[in-house]
Amino acid sequence: MVSLLKTTIDVSGDSKACRFVFISCLFSCLLFFISVYSSESLFAQENSECLECHTDPAEVDDKVRVDPVTGEVELVSMLVDKDAFHASAHGGEDFYCIDCHADLEESEGEHYPDLQPVDCITFCHDDPAETFLEGSHAGLMQEKGIELPTCKHCHAGERSKRDTPRADDLYHRMDTIGKCGGCHTEYYDSYRNNLHGQVTALGHVGTDIATCVDCHGQHTILNSSDPESTLGPENAKETCGKCHPGAGDSFIKHVAHPQYKNLGYYKSAMIALLNIRKDSGQVKSIIKSPQIILTILFVMYVGILVITFAQFGTHMLLSWLGTLLDERKGKESGHDK
Amino acid sequence: MTSNNNTLLRFGLFHRFGHFLIIISFFGLVLTGMPLVFKDYAWAHFLYNLMGGYPTAGNIHRICALITFIAVFLHFAFLTFETLVRKNRNIFWGPDSLLLQPKDIMNVLGDILWFFRLGKRPQFDRYIYWEKFEYLSLMWGTMVMAVTGFMLWFPVQTASLVPVKIATFIDLPSIALVAHRYEALLAAGFIFSIHFLHTHLLPENIPVDEAMFTGKVDEGHMKHERGAYYERLKEEGQLEELKVQPASRRAKFVSKLVGLPLLGVGLLMVGFMLSSLICSITSVIADLTKNIHFDIFSIFAF
Repeated sequence: MVSLLKTTIDVSGDSKACRFVFISCLFSCLLFFISVYSSESLFAQENSECLECHTDPAEVDDKVRVDPVTGEVELVSMLVDKDAFHASAHGGEDFYCIDCHADLEESEGEHYPDLQPVDCITFCHDDPAETFLEGSHAGLMQEKGIELPTCKHCHAGERSKRDTPRADDLYHRMDTIGKCGGCHTEYYDSYRNNLHGQVTALGHVGTDIATCVDCHGQHTILNSSDPESTLGPENAKETCGKCHPGAGDSFIKHVAHPQYKNLGYYKSAMIALLNIRKDSGQVKSIIKSPQIILTILFVMYVGILVITFAQFGTHMLLSWLGTLLDERKGKESGHDK
Repeated sequence: MTSNNNTLLRFGLFHRFGHFLIIISFFGLVLTGMPLVFKDYAWAHFLYNLMGGYPTAGNIHRICALITFIAVFLHFAFLTFETLVRKNRNIFWGPDSLLLQPKDIMNVLGDILWFFRLGKRPQFDRYIYWEKFEYLSLMWGTMVMAVTGFMLWFPVQTASLVPVKIATFIDLPSIALVAHRYEALLAAGFIFSIHFLHTHLLPENIPVDEAMFTGKVDEGHMKHERGAYYERLKEEGQLEELKVQPASRRAKFVSKLVGLPLLGVGLLMVGFMLSSLICSITSVIADLTKNIHFDIFSIFAF
């Protein structure tokens, strides 16, 4: 239609041509209005319309984004990786861009640059948000004045925050360990000392190896001493039993966070020993915990390792030296003869 | 037998086969197990992925553990056969025994004197004292590794062996993990450095001591290395019994072909482990001294 108009403008001197232009304009307008009001579905914003521009590097640019909650400033690419998006949790057939970017519902073509921040909670994910906010984890953070993480803090895609990963996404599982460990450094270190943490550190983070969330829960994060938590005496058998079928009462006493490589543990033990006259409870609680056997075993093995290698290393060096000196002596005496 | 034949048999086929089984399984166990200990280092990631990643490396580890059990079973079957059927008491007491004897203490003292040039090196018998240490530590280590390894293989069943009240103080799978990990470090470090140095990298034997592969050893070498054993054999007249045809060039070549790569892999592993250990210790020291702000110029403050 547009090309038709352009060709007719060249011949605008002619009155016949003028009439033709007028009629064709009217016709096209009529067609437009009919199509708009007759069937809304024809102009409902399909994802393909958004992706037309948002997959073309010439059309969209990087954008400075200020996080509405944390105030973090970052440079975000407005390009959408189609494959990554379709692999993400929201990449299914029945999801539309405007489901989340609801303020674009009526717009068409180029839209205004600063969209409203996406609201994950109100219409879709009110349940996990509520349980997260009710958990003691969020409560404790608020008490201590630490800013609560937003949904996107944890549920961020590998290359773009937009590609919300699925729960069993390998990148997401790896990322979560780092995100939890970012604050809980002590527990992160001790987790890495355990077999679960060793395997995940080597890059295998499939659902058959426990990460933080597999034991401590995903949204309802309660302190493990809380009987209602996933590691409470009632729930722990079920939590461990997901991977270790038949986990019994003894099995759930497992020390998932061994402290024997934590310098703080030794410091607190020293302080407790120094205060033994004032407060013997501290020492008793250290002795009663299962950590003490692991620590003694660890220190013992370090001692054995040091003694063995020091002793046999010296023995080796000396016997090498002795053999070489003997050989030289033998040669000299051979020469003398 | 020809008169110019001067090669002695040191290890029979049975012992060489047992040693071969131990070599295969030990390398498999170390290559799949060590990455887990040094998980923070890039070589561990490479090695772990090379061995097949998470489930595969673990399965190789278990298969190699079973091969070790076969070797251990063969060894104890041999010991039982020797004591019960052949009534051979020499394997427990006497110069032919691998257990520590009073004479070994004298040998150790004599060797210490020799180190400081205070005397001649003592004449060793069939097994030198450090070989006995290696054998006994292998026995002890295999036992610890087998028991703790089975605990880690079946953690649920192991934990259920302990009553709940004791389990709050003694967590068997965790104890097994600590023991397994550091016993493994001890074993791998010992075999790949001390055992290799003691046997293959001695000035006389470099690069590979072929005796464990071909089973045969030169008479002159034996006389030099184990003088007391040689004299004893001569006196008892067993020397002629042990004389065999010298190892063929092919057998020597094959034993070098097998021995050298294994030696290289072992020494490479020791290098990786040692460098990682130094890195770890450095980071611990850096962590400890993080809060100490020592200002060197404060000495001029007076």
